[in-house]
Amino acid sequence: MPSSTFAGRNIKYVVLDITGVLKESGPGGGHAISGSIDAIKRLYKNGFQVRFCTNETVMTRHTLVQQLKNMGFVIDEIKVFPPIPAVCKVLSDRKLRPHLLVHPDSLQDFEGVDCSNPNCVVLGDATEQFSYENLNKAFQCLMQLEKPILFSLGKGKYYQEKGNLVLDVGSYTAALEYATGVTAEIVGKPSPTFFGAVLQDMGATASETVMVGDDIVSDVGGAQACGMAGVLVRTGKFRPRDENHPNVKPDAIVDNLAQFVDNLLANMA
Amino acid sequence: MFHFIHRLQVLKSVCSRFVQVRSIGSRFEKMSGDIKAVLIDLSGTLHVESDPTPGAVDALKRLRQQKDIKVKFVTNTTKESKAVLMRRLLKIGFDVSEEDVFTSLSAARQLVDAQNLRPYLLVDEKAMEDFEGVPQEDPNSVVVGLAPDRMNYEDLNTAMRLLQSGASLIAIHKAKYYRRSDGLALGPGPFVCALEFATGVSAHVVGKPSENFFLSAIAGLDCRPEECVMIGDDVSDDIHGAQTIGMKGILVKTGKYRDGDQDKISPPPHRVCADFAHAVEEVLSGL
Repeated sequence: MPSSTFAGRNIKYVVLDITGVLKESGPGGGHAISGSIDAIKRLYKNGFQVRFCTNETVMTRHTLVQQLKNMGFVIDEIKVFPPIPAVCKVLSDRKLRPHLLVHPDSLQDFEGVDCSNPNCVVLGDATEQFSYENLNKAFQCLMQLEKPILFSLGKGKYYQEKGNLVLDVGSYTAALEYATGVTAEIVGKPSPTFFGAVLQDMGATASETVMVGDDIVSDVGGAQACGMAGVLVRTGKFRPRDENHPNVKPDAIVDNLAQFVDNLLANMA
Repeated sequence: MFHFIHRLQVLKSVCSRFVQVRSIGSRFEKMSGDIKAVLIDLSGTLHVESDPTPGAVDALKRLRQQKDIKVKFVTNTTKESKAVLMRRLLKIGFDVSEEDVFTSLSAARQLVDAQNLRPYLLVDEKAMEDFEGVPQEDPNSVVVGLAPDRMNYEDLNTAMRLLQSGASLIAIHKAKYYRRSDGLALGPGPFVCALEFATGVSAHVVGKPSENFFLSAIAGLDCRPEECVMIGDDVSDDIHGAQTIGMKGILVKTGKYRDGDQDKISPPPHRVCADFAHAVEEVLSGL
């Protein structure tokens, strides 16, 4: 198995965020970030184990992977970890029936989930569906429950869409938390359970794994909290002030995924 | 769960105010005779929906007859302009003039004027008249009230972007929810929180229970907080808020009052009365 000395560690496993690292978002799924298609091929070619860890909930996993393939990425659906399959497993394990406030295009991934007589709320990135009345329905549902449970699919603050920043699901979760006094259970990055499932799938230890993302808190901070190395890219939602974040210090900051892979491969044992 | 959440909030506010407990009077203190101003909450205190609380119309008249006591009506509203509130009060039978009313919208307007702000207004259309004449081009601040029509993805994104580029955030108030005909409904607070979470900008809350609200309400009345009485049905927003700056709070058992509310704040309300009319009796008997 290959390994590389990176950030003072022996790195064998690589976890990549998708939006903002592989591709910029935009109409039709957006476009590949220059050099990233080739960067992933180089990781494969050098024998690194690679997984894709995303908080994408505005479409099904299948659609997401299809879009990436159309852009030219070599990527296998079973190596992609979005929050919806993870939350479906939690719902089934705990016998919960959700009230869903999610994006209509993601509904297919909830197929087979019993949504009758709900006893919890699942909040995804519902974009235009985040209306006052829809949020109010989720709020009323939580207030009626004796033991209210709120799942938040990721807890991002905002992200870039068509060149503009837009509010992410985490901000709406914060609204419901304040209104109800319930603390949301996060499914997706930066939840340690979520990262843990990805590590388990690779048979990896955290200390030998690096996570590359454009979200200083969810990607970099979340991975570091689990014992992984965290690398910040200057693409996607990256803002210059992220380099001086008060709480999170990335193990490395790179211009883009291609530069990260250059560095990783340059230090191979 | 309601109860539990409330207990938590109370615990929080008790902790944060602990240091001030000693400096404020106790419930056994006799109401002093030098009251110069009475602040009165509207909905739940003076009236419940379109009915006055028992004896309230006469009680207000009696209070008004005291020439050395000024009266101010104070309310957290995010959608009703002063004019709308006035019309309602007159219709119910209360003798009120516009300069007697101070609302959270008035407080927001004062702040906007004082700081020469150009606000992006996320407020109900009905509240817009309180912002008449305020420049709104090229906004450098965001004002959030309760405006279900404006609490949508598009407008909240616009607000977030303005905050990201340095605009200040003003919350008319931060109520979690309110009661609507079909049950509980989200107040402005959750949306303020969403914007705070997204941007790291802390909102300046202008309504009750903010200290500035009470201070602004009595500005120009020529009296000190210690010479003021606040009568209201909300033990935290009305009574605790007013007592924090040294006013005397009278909690009335109408409107949103629930058994045991008086035990939820420390120090407790200066007085607890059955309704507004009885509260007025207390004020007058102390003079």
